[in-house]
Amino acid sequence: MNSSSLLTPSSSSSPHLQSPATFDHDDFLHHIFSSTPWPSVLDDAPPPTSDIAGFHHHDADSRNQITMMPLPSHHHPNDSLFNGLSAGSLPFHLPQGSGGGQSQSQSQATASTTTGGTTVQPQTKPKVRARRGQATDPHSIAERLRRERIAERMKSLQELVPNGNKTDKASMLDEIIDYVKFLQLQVKVLSMSRLGGAASVSSQISEDAGGSHENTSSSGENQTAAKMTEHQVAKLMEEDMGSAMQYLQGKGLCLMPISLASTISSATCPPRNPFVGDAAVPLSPNLSTTTIANGNASSLVTVKDAPSVSKP
Amino acid sequence: MASANKTINTDVPAKDIFALHFLQSLSNLRIQNPLNSPEETTDRVKKIKMAAYISMARAAGGTNRLWSRALLRRASKENNKINRFSRRKRKVTWQISSERRGRRSSNRRAPVVEEVAERLRNFVPGGGGMETSKLMEETAHYIKCLSMQVKVMQCLVDGLSPK
Repeated sequence: MNSSSLLTPSSSSSPHLQSPATFDHDDFLHHIFSSTPWPSVLDDAPPPTSDIAGFHHHDADSRNQITMMPLPSHHHPNDSLFNGLSAGSLPFHLPQGSGGGQSQSQSQATASTTTGGTTVQPQTKPKVRARRGQATDPHSIAERLRRERIAERMKSLQELVPNGNKTDKASMLDEIIDYVKFLQLQVKVLSMSRLGGAASVSSQISEDAGGSHENTSSSGENQTAAKMTEHQVAKLMEEDMGSAMQYLQGKGLCLMPISLASTISSATCPPRNPFVGDAAVPLSPNLSTTTIANGNASSLVTVKDAPSVSKP
Repeated sequence: MASANKTINTDVPAKDIFALHFLQSLSNLRIQNPLNSPEETTDRVKKIKMAAYISMARAAGGTNRLWSRALLRRASKENNKINRFSRRKRKVTWQISSERRGRRSSNRRAPVVEEVAERLRNFVPGGGGMETSKLMEETAHYIKCLSMQVKVMQCLVDGLSPK
């Protein structure tokens, strides 16, 4: 009996409904749904119960099509009639029924279902009712907007940064920060090797390492100096890649993969030392290689390539 | 409303413009300081680095971007030009507005994002006076410009280093 929950006015019942209060279905529905929140409207006093008897059957039919919300009692025709009538009677004061108190309680029940069932409401609800679970407070709306903007920008940032596949916002932001740091470091390193800094850099190396890294013939000397550097770098690499890079660049060295180092050194001068692990190569064009053995063969930073940093 | 903001303008000019500005600044440096002795290398390195950043800022759109403005301001401050007032004012207004906001809506800002945004502000120049969404936009542009500058410098190094 109460199956349909759609707005399907039936023409058959409209002439019957016309008798109590000259209106037709569409008008009636329109009036119902344009009226502001249901609860206030339901507070209206029940209309006089004049000719309810004549309406029973017709109204039952019409009301079936009008009812929008799940009614608490479907089995009792009178109850459902009252519910429908209370729903329909609000702007028009249709005769409620003999049980005044009963209709009141049921109207309250309808009111509660109205407010509770947000999912059942039609689209033409007044705009006062916001989305479920969110307030219409202007602060929270602004807050929501702001969050959306931030999320949007984070997405565009994500595409820029390599390794941008993290879903977590915090880790993504950490990646971004590290990338910015890395780029700034690259600029610094590159500016060091620029413009005839090569000669000064190589002289710096010879001063610092206590034995020239260029043109050295004795592998023994080389290895002690190399070992010191190696230990230092390995220690630094464990904590922070950036500081390791800075240490190396202070010495005028950079890390690069073995294959590249072997290619470069074979192009310039014959290799002197066996390659174990990564090789540290001075930035000056006079290449002589020093080997740094570390277990972290996967971490590489090269100055010459495009920024491709893979963190251990 | 989100769709209106979809096309955030973070375009950077082509590599040539960056290269042009950088080379100009380098030649200026060379004119000013002839080849130094090794003891002043660090000073020279700093100058080159500063030249790189300044040329990047100029190439990237001059004063259209907040970070470039801050970079240029910082550089001119080091060159004994007094232009501090606007920066200080901006910092003050930011703090005031955050206070006001804080009173109204204490827990509204996502604390995790804000904390990371603080760290980001330390790296991106001019980040002290920006709100988080603006900061991210600036960061995106800054990252693009930085990577462009790095590419230019790498090409120079590769091209000019003797075989």
